Amino acid sequence: MSQSQEDLKLYWNKINYAFPILNDSVFTDCSIADYEEIHGIIIGLGIQVKIRDLVLIHIEKYLRQHVAPLFWSKFTKVEEEIRGFQLFKSAVNDLYESVSSFAAMLRRLTTLNNTCNDSKPIYGEKDVTLGFKQLLRATLLSQLPLDFHVIVNHFYKVSFNVFDNEYENPDIGEDVMCSGCWNDFSECNCAYIVKVFHDTNRKLMELQLLERLAGQVLTNFSQVRIESHMQKLCSGSFDVSHMGFLDVWLETTVVSWLTRIYCAGSSKPPADDTYIQNAISKFRQKLSYFMHRSYTMLRIDQLFNIIIEYPDSLPAVEDIRIGLQMTDLRPTLCKKLQSALETRLLHPGVNTPDILTAYISTIKALRYIDPSGVILETVTKPVKNYLRNREDTVRSVVSSLTEEGAGCELAEELAKFAAEPDADEDKDEIWEDWVPDPVDADPKGNSSDRRANDIISMLVNVYGSKELFVNEYRTLLADRLLAQSAINTEREIRYLELLKLRFGESQLHFCEVMLKDISDSKRINALIQQEKSIEELNKKFTSSAMILSAQFWPPFKDESLELPEEIKQHLEAYTKSFEALKGNRTLSWKPHLGIVNIEIEIGDKKKDFTVSPFNATLIMHFQNKPEWSIDELHQVMKVPVTVLRRKITYWQSMGLISEKSPDHFVLVDGSDPNKGSVSSNQVQDMICEDDEAESAMASAHDQREGELQVFWSYIVGMLTNLDSLPLDRIHQMLKMFASQAPGTECSLQELRQFLDTKVRTHQLVLQGGMYKLPKN
Amino acid sequence: MAQNINPHYASSSNPAKQNEDTIKLKDNHAVSKRLQKELMELMRCADKGISAFPESDNLFKWIGTLDGPMETVYAGHKYKLSLEFPNSYPYAPPVVKFVTPCFHPNVDTCGSICLDILKDKWTALYDVRTILLSIQSLLGEPNTASPLNQQASCLWVNQEAYKKYLDEFYNKHRDS
Repeated sequence: MSQSQEDLKLYWNKINYAFPILNDSVFTDCSIADYEEIHGIIIGLGIQVKIRDLVLIHIEKYLRQHVAPLFWSKFTKVEEEIRGFQLFKSAVNDLYESVSSFAAMLRRLTTLNNTCNDSKPIYGEKDVTLGFKQLLRATLLSQLPLDFHVIVNHFYKVSFNVFDNEYENPDIGEDVMCSGCWNDFSECNCAYIVKVFHDTNRKLMELQLLERLAGQVLTNFSQVRIESHMQKLCSGSFDVSHMGFLDVWLETTVVSWLTRIYCAGSSKPPADDTYIQNAISKFRQKLSYFMHRSYTMLRIDQLFNIIIEYPDSLPAVEDIRIGLQMTDLRPTLCKKLQSALETRLLHPGVNTPDILTAYISTIKALRYIDPSGVILETVTKPVKNYLRNREDTVRSVVSSLTEEGAGCELAEELAKFAAEPDADEDKDEIWEDWVPDPVDADPKGNSSDRRANDIISMLVNVYGSKELFVNEYRTLLADRLLAQSAINTEREIRYLELLKLRFGESQLHFCEVMLKDISDSKRINALIQQEKSIEELNKKFTSSAMILSAQFWPPFKDESLELPEEIKQHLEAYTKSFEALKGNRTLSWKPHLGIVNIEIEIGDKKKDFTVSPFNATLIMHFQNKPEWSIDELHQVMKVPVTVLRRKITYWQSMGLISEKSPDHFVLVDGSDPNKGSVSSNQVQDMICEDDEAESAMASAHDQREGELQVFWSYIVGMLTNLDSLPLDRIHQMLKMFASQAPGTECSLQELRQFLDTKVRTHQLVLQGGMYKLPKN
Repeated sequence: MAQNINPHYASSSNPAKQNEDTIKLKDNHAVSKRLQKELMELMRCADKGISAFPESDNLFKWIGTLDGPMETVYAGHKYKLSLEFPNSYPYAPPVVKFVTPCFHPNVDTCGSICLDILKDKWTALYDVRTILLSIQSLLGEPNTASPLNQQASCLWVNQEAYKKYLDEFYNKHRDS
């Protein structure tokens, strides 16, 4: 008994000798031969499972109590990078060493385990070594301190600095400092750092801790690198596409760099190590998404500028299009672009034509990015609303529609539409190309509408009615026809035909008549000029008239002007011969429209002018009497004093008339040229707003006001009989009962404005949301 | 003065009735077209002192307003009327009644009017405008021979007393 006890003690000591961990130690000089003997003893006693489990428990305890705390104790929050570098290095080294010191014991344990036939997994793994590593990782990570990343960061920062330097710019030799380690070149320890770096990485890799400890840091570094590269790419112009090269860049730069880290310097992963390959391909996917996302994001931030430069920026637009397919940035794009438009475009400081140009570019660019038109619809909603509130929108659109020369895309667009009017019919046929609407599409809208809308109809739709556009075009056309003395009707006819294709014949009928008037009046004019009575009159001066059909021209601005007697007689004679030529018709003159060529003789100087009838009349009065007060002029010309005062500046600027005393004007004597030039300088600024720029037509706003007047009688009728009504009720009633009246459509908004003006002029009373007629 | 409230006026809120009217409206496209035209004409002419407008969405029921003719005892008064057009309009006259109580030899306490053109003398040539003008002139020139309101008829001879009574009556009832 005592013998066996002795034996047992001996055995136990021997076991302890083989597995010193049982005494909380790792070091032993137990050789393989020694162990074979001990192994025999264990087998003989049949306690291999017990011993194995006991050893494992002790290993676990040892790792928990000694290895892990020792490892983590190095992870302190240090400020200097180089110290962090050292700490991390020594931590990893120590860990690696202490793990290696387990090697012999593990080998023995493996042998032991092989004799246990229970095939129990060791910490989830079949193999003892693997189980040990698993255990080590679990133990380490279970004690992960809060600030562990600090020195990891330091370590990698220092290393990457050197590393980048080594692989990217090998030829940076002029600096005294090594840009890698920030030491003098003489004591550059880049080589050391690189060595340590690879060494550490290899060790971590072997322990399978690289991913866990450094993964986040690596990702961060890669992302920072990608981002700075993207910034560099995007800071340039928009006329280069980068999307295609991004993947190559990622592969050659970031991924190869990562591979070097994982494979300790070699640029290719070992073919047989699937673990590394997996890790790298996972990294690649993650980074590729991140790269595309950050690139697209940056481009989206620049989208407003890109749009402004469209179509020069087409490559950038293309990049965004591809980027959107790979990432989920559609809502971001909508939001960002919308706010960019709002802050940069939609404020009073921007001219309407500029807004329109931007709007057109937006339409074009977004149509390219998203052919379904959903983004466009969302983004341009505020632009449309804003344009609707601008008074000169229609005018700008119409004028750019009919303008010739560079920068008028609309005119081109119009011509393009005429060239391929039924192109989109064919598109419907290609059913294979059909794609469903994106998820963010408004289900109420028709997708084909959204796709098919071209730029002009989108502009027209800002207002929702073609009529307004056609009216504005009419006004514009009238202005243009009247402003030119020699009219190039051919060009106008060409545009009219183009517009007809779009807006329909009936809408533009009036304009056709207007153009015909012009050519007719040329003919009639020629006929009248041949008459004897006119020929007689023409000896003094000639006149030619533009005969307009009052029904078809837009209403003219009402301006009175009393012409000099001489002219009036001339015009009367003209009227008579017209009446003779065309029975039952007469002429009603618009004295304020037209142009006059005059020759002014002062002293020995002769000057030719082409001026408005107003200015001609004005200067003619000075022919007979060199001095006029403004009141006298008002009497003769029957023009408001304010207008007179404004218009007389024209002649003042020409140096022909000067203001002797306030409201008292004299003809400047030609013999004193200095005086004239002095005054001309003074008044130069005044005539900048020359009357030539003014439109002869009543503005669209005035016309609309006139149309709304039709409703007024209905509103009065309504309120007389029904006492008081709220706004929407009035609107509804008008829609129901006054729809046949001309002027037709009237939005609630417009009606409110109209009624508000009536309230302001005391023709209506608004009380508690109800409109009433005032008590008389 | 509950009996002075026009029964048609009161029942206009009745949904069943309303419904029936809308059906009628659909059936009588020609009639509504004519009424629409009359409304347009009325709005365009904008005669002084008479006015009428559809009461709600229903084109067959109008509210009219007329001012008492000048230089008569009714001067300065304002009367509201209801006009209800039958489906056979304009071949049958509309039913016209005073909504504002009116003291007049040819108007009864319910507001019904005794006027030949609204009865047997009706022709399709009359329209809302002429009806209102006729009623306006009836105010100044009542037919005392066939009165609906005996008291008014008797009092008419004495214009001064009539005016005094009328003003009192008008001021008492105009807001009802």
